[in-house]
Amino acid sequence: MKLFNRNLLYILLTVIASPLILFATQDQCFTCHNDLGDNASNLFKEDVHYKTGLSCAGCHGGNSNSDDMDVAMNKSQGFSGVPKQNRVSETCAKCHSDTSFMKKYNSKISTHQLESLQKSVHGSLATNGKSMIVQCTTCHNAHGIKKVADPRSPVYPTNVPQTCSKCHNNAGYMQTYNPSLTVDQLAKYRTSVHGKLNANGNSKTAQCASCHGSHDILTSKDVRAKTYKLNIPKTCSSCHSNKSYMKEFAIATDQHDKYKNSVHGKAVFEKNDLSAPVCNDCHGNHGATPPGLESISKVCGTCHALNAQLFSSSLHKKVFDENKYPECETCHGNHEIKSATEKLLGVSEDAICSKCHTESKNTKGYFVAKKMRRLIDNLQIADSNAKNSIFLAEQKGMDVEEAKFKLRDIHQSKLEARTIVHSFEEKKFKEVIAKGNTASKQVITEANAAIDQFYFRRYGLLIATLVITILIISIYFYIKRIEKNQ
Amino acid sequence: MKEIAKKIFGYFDERFELENLVHFMSKKYVPVHRHSIWYYFGGVSLFFFIIQVITGILLLFYYKGSSDLAYESIKFIMSKVEFGWLIRSIHSWSANLFILSMYIHMFSVFFEKAYRKPRELTWLTGAVMFLMSLAFGFSGYLLPWNELAFFATKVGTDIVGAVPFVGETLKYFLRGGEDVTGATLSRFFGFHVALFPGIFTLLLVLHLLFIQRQGISEPMHSEKSEEEKKTMPFFPNFMLRDLLLWLLVLNLLAILAVFFPAELGLKANALASAPAGIRPEWYFLFMFQTLKLIPGHVLFIEGEVLGILLFGVVGLLWILVPFWDRKSSRGIRNRMINYIGIAAIVFIIILTIIGLM
Repeated sequence: MKLFNRNLLYILLTVIASPLILFATQDQCFTCHNDLGDNASNLFKEDVHYKTGLSCAGCHGGNSNSDDMDVAMNKSQGFSGVPKQNRVSETCAKCHSDTSFMKKYNSKISTHQLESLQKSVHGSLATNGKSMIVQCTTCHNAHGIKKVADPRSPVYPTNVPQTCSKCHNNAGYMQTYNPSLTVDQLAKYRTSVHGKLNANGNSKTAQCASCHGSHDILTSKDVRAKTYKLNIPKTCSSCHSNKSYMKEFAIATDQHDKYKNSVHGKAVFEKNDLSAPVCNDCHGNHGATPPGLESISKVCGTCHALNAQLFSSSLHKKVFDENKYPECETCHGNHEIKSATEKLLGVSEDAICSKCHTESKNTKGYFVAKKMRRLIDNLQIADSNAKNSIFLAEQKGMDVEEAKFKLRDIHQSKLEARTIVHSFEEKKFKEVIAKGNTASKQVITEANAAIDQFYFRRYGLLIATLVITILIISIYFYIKRIEKNQ
Repeated sequence: MKEIAKKIFGYFDERFELENLVHFMSKKYVPVHRHSIWYYFGGVSLFFFIIQVITGILLLFYYKGSSDLAYESIKFIMSKVEFGWLIRSIHSWSANLFILSMYIHMFSVFFEKAYRKPRELTWLTGAVMFLMSLAFGFSGYLLPWNELAFFATKVGTDIVGAVPFVGETLKYFLRGGEDVTGATLSRFFGFHVALFPGIFTLLLVLHLLFIQRQGISEPMHSEKSEEEKKTMPFFPNFMLRDLLLWLLVLNLLAILAVFFPAELGLKANALASAPAGIRPEWYFLFMFQTLKLIPGHVLFIEGEVLGILLFGVVGLLWILVPFWDRKSSRGIRNRMINYIGIAAIVFIIILTIIGLM
């Protein structure tokens, strides 16, 4: 009995000596507020912090062991009431940024959330000019905070779109921060494959945080952002190239590898070309979905406008639609689009046209393709000849800058030919090629004139030197003669 | 043919009494000795000057002296104007050969001590003409308004700016402002085609007049008696020899112009950085290289200022040689002059070679 009394005394002493202890067996704050039946205490019952034994005083301060309100909520006891503005996030960070404290709970949560939040776009100054735009409670709520893995949590994957859209769907609110930012992300998202799966409760499918991050969200103009144009392929591929992760969705996982080798991918990865398309330029971002068969030319046409326009008004459009051939993709592929060369045109084995047009099948197209290839090959030869003439003239030290400038017309003609080929009309194609051939002839004529001029100068010099030398010799003998007579 | 020539001569003789002039010239004699060859470089320099005037006038038909059009107009001359390339190339080569022959002529006169009394003023006008030929080169170099010329002018006028007391004012005057701009081009153009040719022609007339009046200087200490001394009539002997040399030089000029036409390079761009290895024309190179080799500070004076002062003093002494070389004027052999001349040639050649490397 004596021993029992001693132990009890120790416990009592410990409790009395540690009034600020966070986890008390008897949380007097909660007891009273629960008796009052207020909303905060009702929610707190389901709170992850309550379940791990943390008391109200953990966030609000005061003495949670005292049932005397004047003592418990006395400022001398550290009572701070409802945290305001940045004090909210700082209160959370008291524990969540304390590695040793979090270790006690075997937590695997990062202890850098506040730091990340402060550096994020949400961490910038709010319109009140005093605090960050977003506090922890904005997304996680205050009382009744659930684990992220808890489907009731506002930051559980299937709830994230709704949580973000609380602000991002509010046009009036968003206008105060970024009037140019659209507020239809959620609506678009719900039309996407991701959004539909998410709405059906699939927690693996991409939601806002998957692409934008959570605490560390940056504006897409920021080169560090996961949604910065040049980072998008990596962001998308973090799921789409993960075979095991994508297993249940039954789609290919080689898009990124293919894209990397494509003309677009090389522009992005090797040249950091911001004008080259990345995943979302063809698939959309919030409303990400593969383009439909008929809309491929429209999607590609956002950049390749002329090609798309010519194709849409060509004979092939109808045939492709009837046969359900994906438009641009049939000839150029999708993720692994290679730089289009003359080799695609014609009836040789590696030419695309020969897929459908042979000598016995769809013969008209066969002969047109054959002729078009011959025309563009001839232009290529004309281009080489022009360049060769320029080279020869330059080697002789002649100024052929103007003729050299005209080489651009041949190049331009080649570029135009690559575009006009999408009309699949021989006449139009011929007209474009003719421009290049004419330019080539002009360049060759001018370069040859420069070469002729070179020889003219040499021969002119020879003649002039001969005349002058004869004069010199004559004068020499004349001097000899007159001096002989003097 | 001979008859026609005679008739033409007769026509002019009847009106202008040319026979008297021919008679006068045939009575003028030029000394003949082992150093006679050097006499011809005065004539060769004159020939190059004539070529410069003729080709310069032809270039003026198309050249536009503004920073917007200068480069383009030269490009036009080189590519579109019939024989424009030849005229410009000859003008450019002739300018270089003109200065080279002026150098040779000046040094030959120096070694022969032909500046001695009574020919002090002939030397003086010649020395000023030599300085003017350098000024012709400096001002003409900027006119194509290309990258090299632009930065070379910048460096050149910067050096002028380092002259004590008057340098900054002189630099401002030459540039027509703080920096090398279109204003610099305009005034360099004015200097090159109006001011310099005017003064040069005046000096040239004086120079030739002095030679006519005083005759060509003979070498000192000739052992031969007056009877043993060989001479040749100025007309036609010397003139024909002159003509022969001029034709040889013309041949050389034509070959250089055809095989090594004048280049144009890139258009001047004040915002671009100076091209690597920028250096002045070869005739300024020894001075430029000397300034580069002098340490930043020598005792209490800046290296560049010291260099400029040294060149100024040496140049002045060189020009005034007839007035301090009393020995030669009195007919006494002065070997010191020869040593100074040889030292100057060695210095110029070595520093130029270093500058070219």
